[in-house]
Amino acid sequence: MSSDTRNSKGSQVGLIALVVGIVGIVIALFGFKQGWDTGEVRPIMSWLIALGFWLSIAVGMLFLVQIWYVFHARWPTIIRRQCEHFMAAFPYLLVLFLPLLAIPFLHENPGLLWKWMDGHNELPGHGTVAEDPLYAWKSPFLNIPFFAIRGIGIFVVFIGVATLLRKWSFDTDTTGNINNMHKARRLSSLGLFLTAIAMTLGSIDWFKSLEYHWFSTMYGVWFFAACMRAALASIIILTVILACKGYLKGILKQAHRYDIACMMLAFTVFWAYISFSQYFLIYSANIPEETFWYNIREKNFDGGLNSWWWVSMGLIFGHFLTPFLLLLWYKTKVVIWRTVGVSIWILAFHLLDLYWNIIPGKLVAPDHGAGYLIRQFSVSIYDLAALVGIGGICIFAMCRSMKKAEPIPVRDPNILTSINYTE
Amino acid sequence: MTEKYGIIASFPDTPSFFHAAEKVRDAGYKKWDTYSSFPVHGMPEAQGQARSKVPVFTFLGGITGFTVGLLMVWWMNAYDYPLIIRGQPFFSPVFPFPIMYELTILLAAFGTLGGMFITNLLPQHYSPLFNSDQFLEVSGDRLVIAIEARDGQYDAVATRQFLEEIGGTDIEEVSA
Repeated sequence: MSSDTRNSKGSQVGLIALVVGIVGIVIALFGFKQGWDTGEVRPIMSWLIALGFWLSIAVGMLFLVQIWYVFHARWPTIIRRQCEHFMAAFPYLLVLFLPLLAIPFLHENPGLLWKWMDGHNELPGHGTVAEDPLYAWKSPFLNIPFFAIRGIGIFVVFIGVATLLRKWSFDTDTTGNINNMHKARRLSSLGLFLTAIAMTLGSIDWFKSLEYHWFSTMYGVWFFAACMRAALASIIILTVILACKGYLKGILKQAHRYDIACMMLAFTVFWAYISFSQYFLIYSANIPEETFWYNIREKNFDGGLNSWWWVSMGLIFGHFLTPFLLLLWYKTKVVIWRTVGVSIWILAFHLLDLYWNIIPGKLVAPDHGAGYLIRQFSVSIYDLAALVGIGGICIFAMCRSMKKAEPIPVRDPNILTSINYTE
Repeated sequence: MTEKYGIIASFPDTPSFFHAAEKVRDAGYKKWDTYSSFPVHGMPEAQGQARSKVPVFTFLGGITGFTVGLLMVWWMNAYDYPLIIRGQPFFSPVFPFPIMYELTILLAAFGTLGGMFITNLLPQHYSPLFNSDQFLEVSGDRLVIAIEARDGQYDAVATRQFLEEIGGTDIEEVSA
């Protein structure tokens, strides 16, 4: 395929993605505005879930690219370039993060989404945020200015590392300058730390602090595992599409898919290991400040099972057991439609995992008594709109980047090893 | 006359060795093998071998370990000597999970090791092939295909001819 046809095909997909993305964003922003006006936070959470979903894919790819550099991995060279294209989405994701960051500064209730941001917010059963001794202890970290600085800093790390890696890799295509690879490797060994810290802070700030009472040192690792699973599943889907319809035809081998699928199996186990460890430690310690987080995901105040119990079971059996058993089979890792099927399955349950982590929360009971209500599981049109909208913008960013550089890193020293890779 | 184990043939280089193996496969022989001192990529396919059965042993070992862990904790904690710990139930699938998980891994590893021994027909301290001085050179640079006499298609004359046709040299009948 000549580069002209490649570009026009890419522009076409990119244009469609842009239009679909803008339509989705407009609908999601309409929901966001409703939530803003009425104080009902659920449509704003749609935005947070969708942002978390697409950000986790990009962050997982950022990790993978750096891990591949640090370990001098040769086989994924052709896949690395596709990840580099998707990493072009980071600046757009920063812009899409700004509506959420606007809440503490522009809304009359700064704690609309993250309730610790307003001391007047009533807590179920006991007083207000300002009167809460746990908040007093956590306030040196959980305060609005520091939150905003961290939020921007996190994106500066993602965008900075991604931009440099992209720049050097694309530069090698034209100059063949081997120093770019050395520079990328050196940056990656530092960048992995920076990315890990930024990602951990992000997961704590945006997801965990929704229920700021809670403690968990596993949370950052949970999000890391989630990011890696999302990125690996997306890589399978993306590269298989490119191999069937696009420029990876005849280049993507069974061995590449097999190795990515092996990593999918490994990170499925890792996700389960981390998620279970978090539960297990809290179960064993049995301290109310920690156990409530799991209690509200299982039972209502009156002790009856709530909607989240079904989601929790769905995650155990759907997000771990099913993909784990399927991926044990060699055939699942090499037969294209099976690998793609498992990848779509994992992405769907990754989204459910985000729902499960973000939406449940203690709400003040109508009589303002000792009890509480729980925000139950629900799916809204704004979830879909935000997901499609932010996703459309990410895919547009990727297609735009695809026009700028060669489809595979043609002058990378490891390109031949990657193209001729066998199991 | 002593009983025969089979015929061995040597090949001068890896490509001819590899293609000869494909021809032996296509000729329909079943009881035969290739011998080299280094792994040759794609040789299992060239020999027409199915995928290894070891994962089945691993899986069965894992399932056994999981079940044993579950039953062990139930028997010790809830049946034989019930203990109240932190007011938690005598038995639940949550707290024994590390034990179930560790035993799954341990017995899956044992299953893998055992499966490897079983499918490789190990331990095997004696092979008639060692009767051939030429064959001993396989641990150096010799590449050998051996067709065994117990193969249904084996014929002392025809098989020797066949091996010559596909480029074999130093053809030798090995006694059992």
